[in-house]
Amino acid sequence: MARVELKNIEKVYEGGVKAVHGANVTIEDQEFVVFVGPSGCGKSTTLRMVAGLEDISSGDLYIDGERVNDLPPKDRNIAMVFQNYALYPHMTVYENMAFGLRIRKLPDAEIDSRVRAAAKILSIEMLLDRKPKALSGGQRQRVAVGRAIVRNPKVFLFDEPLSNLDAKLRVQMRTEIAKLHHRLKATMIYVTHDQVEAMTMGDKIVVMKDGLIHQIGSPLLLYDHPANKFVAGFIGSPPMNFLEGVIDAGTPLRVSGEGFSFAAAPEHREALLPHVGKKISIGIRPEHMLIAPRDQQDNVINAHITVIEELGAEAHIYMSRAIDDTENLIARVDQRHGYKMDDAVKITPEASAVRYFDGETGKALLGVIGPIRMSSRRQAE
Amino acid sequence: MRTGSWNDRNAYWLFPSAAVFVILLMMVFPLIYTIYNSFTDWSLTSGYGASWIGFRNYIEIFTNDERFWGSVWRTFYFTVLAMIFEVVLGVLIAVLFDAKDFRGKRVVRSIFLMAMMATPVAIAMVWMLIFEPTAGILNYMIRATGMQSILDAVGIGKILWITDGATVIPSLVLVDIWEWTPLISLIVIAGLATLSREPYESAMVDGANSFQIFFRITLPMIAPTIGVAALLRLVDCLKTFDIIYTMTMGGPGYSSETLNIYTYQTSFQYFNFGYASALLVVFFALVLGVSLIVTYLRRGLEN
Repeated sequence: MARVELKNIEKVYEGGVKAVHGANVTIEDQEFVVFVGPSGCGKSTTLRMVAGLEDISSGDLYIDGERVNDLPPKDRNIAMVFQNYALYPHMTVYENMAFGLRIRKLPDAEIDSRVRAAAKILSIEMLLDRKPKALSGGQRQRVAVGRAIVRNPKVFLFDEPLSNLDAKLRVQMRTEIAKLHHRLKATMIYVTHDQVEAMTMGDKIVVMKDGLIHQIGSPLLLYDHPANKFVAGFIGSPPMNFLEGVIDAGTPLRVSGEGFSFAAAPEHREALLPHVGKKISIGIRPEHMLIAPRDQQDNVINAHITVIEELGAEAHIYMSRAIDDTENLIARVDQRHGYKMDDAVKITPEASAVRYFDGETGKALLGVIGPIRMSSRRQAE
Repeated sequence: MRTGSWNDRNAYWLFPSAAVFVILLMMVFPLIYTIYNSFTDWSLTSGYGASWIGFRNYIEIFTNDERFWGSVWRTFYFTVLAMIFEVVLGVLIAVLFDAKDFRGKRVVRSIFLMAMMATPVAIAMVWMLIFEPTAGILNYMIRATGMQSILDAVGIGKILWITDGATVIPSLVLVDIWEWTPLISLIVIAGLATLSREPYESAMVDGANSFQIFFRITLPMIAPTIGVAALLRLVDCLKTFDIIYTMTMGGPGYSSETLNIYTYQTSFQYFNFGYASALLVVFFALVLGVSLIVTYLRRGLEN
């Protein structure tokens, strides 16, 4: 098992396109790290550089303290699971899993016991004699994972392994991979574009966009304290709501924009004071969009309801702000909300949970502070 | 029953009818007519008409025709030799083309494929000049590189290429390789292009070196494609006529007379159409048989 360190890793393609800018990530032994970002953000390229399938243009890559930049993939002691499974079509499941071991000239008995043990872990024992084309997508992905397990590598690499599976199977495989990580206690690096996968699986998440790492941290840290507007919008489903506005001086500080105005939380005062009068983005998670009493005048955002999604345990209310119909807001509320489509609604934000971003750079204005408190009113509702 | 509905229900027969007519006229009729002729003694030089002689032609072929058995042997000699080189070279060239990206790759590939497009008679003429023992460029090069003295030393002497019974078939095979290896490459390149990159990368991560990847991943994955290309060439090799007829007419003596040449000579030199028809039927059965065996083996390999 191993610790993986990326130090200033860069990837520049022929023709000068820079796919990865100075990536610095440390992946601790036995850690499950997820690289997440929209397509083309450089996450897969980064993973392929760790695997040795792409050259590293500059920077250093260490696995277990050894610099491996110039080692071919086969000498890095890694195993990789590919998006399209990458099974060898002409070999049986057994031979697919045994291939890496045969190449390494392990004794047959050892190969047999490892393949059967891995097959048992993944419940694919009855498929060992089949060829890949006779398997379903989920089964193929299990074989691909099995092929990685038998090698007993220092590091497991997963390149969007679940994106070809249907939604239900994806959720199932997600928990299986998480269990596998727990069981094998291996270092795993996982690439996905799906932030739900990232949130549910990662010990640590690396958010990338345009070849840049935007934030590294635990799922909850990223959710509660996004470093910038991109991370705030990318992590979380339904996504964070954004409003454009300014901070007005006074006590308390007030945040206002077209058609809304509310008091900022007292604990944010110090961080926001330097930005009084400047354009900012205000970010509010859907669960912090509280429905205010109809007669409340202060601290409200006026909107009308366009769509209500009833999910049973909760409801997602999609709204347009009264002043213009283009800006959409989403509130996640208790299923007993009592509203219907086209109703006018008043939203009051949970002040302590509101996040503020620089209007130009998108950088978070609040530092990393304690966990978000829920007001008593929300709990009473 | 109204005519309109009858027309509607049966109109679809109209559309393939032209093709069916041509196939009947150009393929089925000649086949049946040839089989019929093979049971006659039809000959233009005999001075009398054709009469039904039953299996006499076939009995003659299998029991009393040394020239036939010689031509069968030469047909297979030519085919096996050509196939081995064409498939191995064709696959190697395809893999090289696929592996490496270089400037002007497409142009080089087009030039490479031109041999296939040239007229066989023109190819034959050029190669006759190349093979010419005294003035030809091949022997000139052997002399110029000092190889001739080595050949002289081991007692081989001057190579006579297509004018020597011992070297004529390998020489013709050389021409066939030159002309048809690109076809194998072309098909295999197309096959390689459809393969996904991921299994290669997976094999690299699994620890395989380039040789292991080629023999254990690439080759098995393109085996079906190679099979198709080889089958095409096999049938064509067995039936090779143009270059042999143009360059040697089956000579010197009978030493390059393949079954196809022998059949042609029997028909159009000796005008023994009955006997030639029987030869053709045997030839047809042979090609069909070999193709079926190869197809069967290929299917066995795939599963």
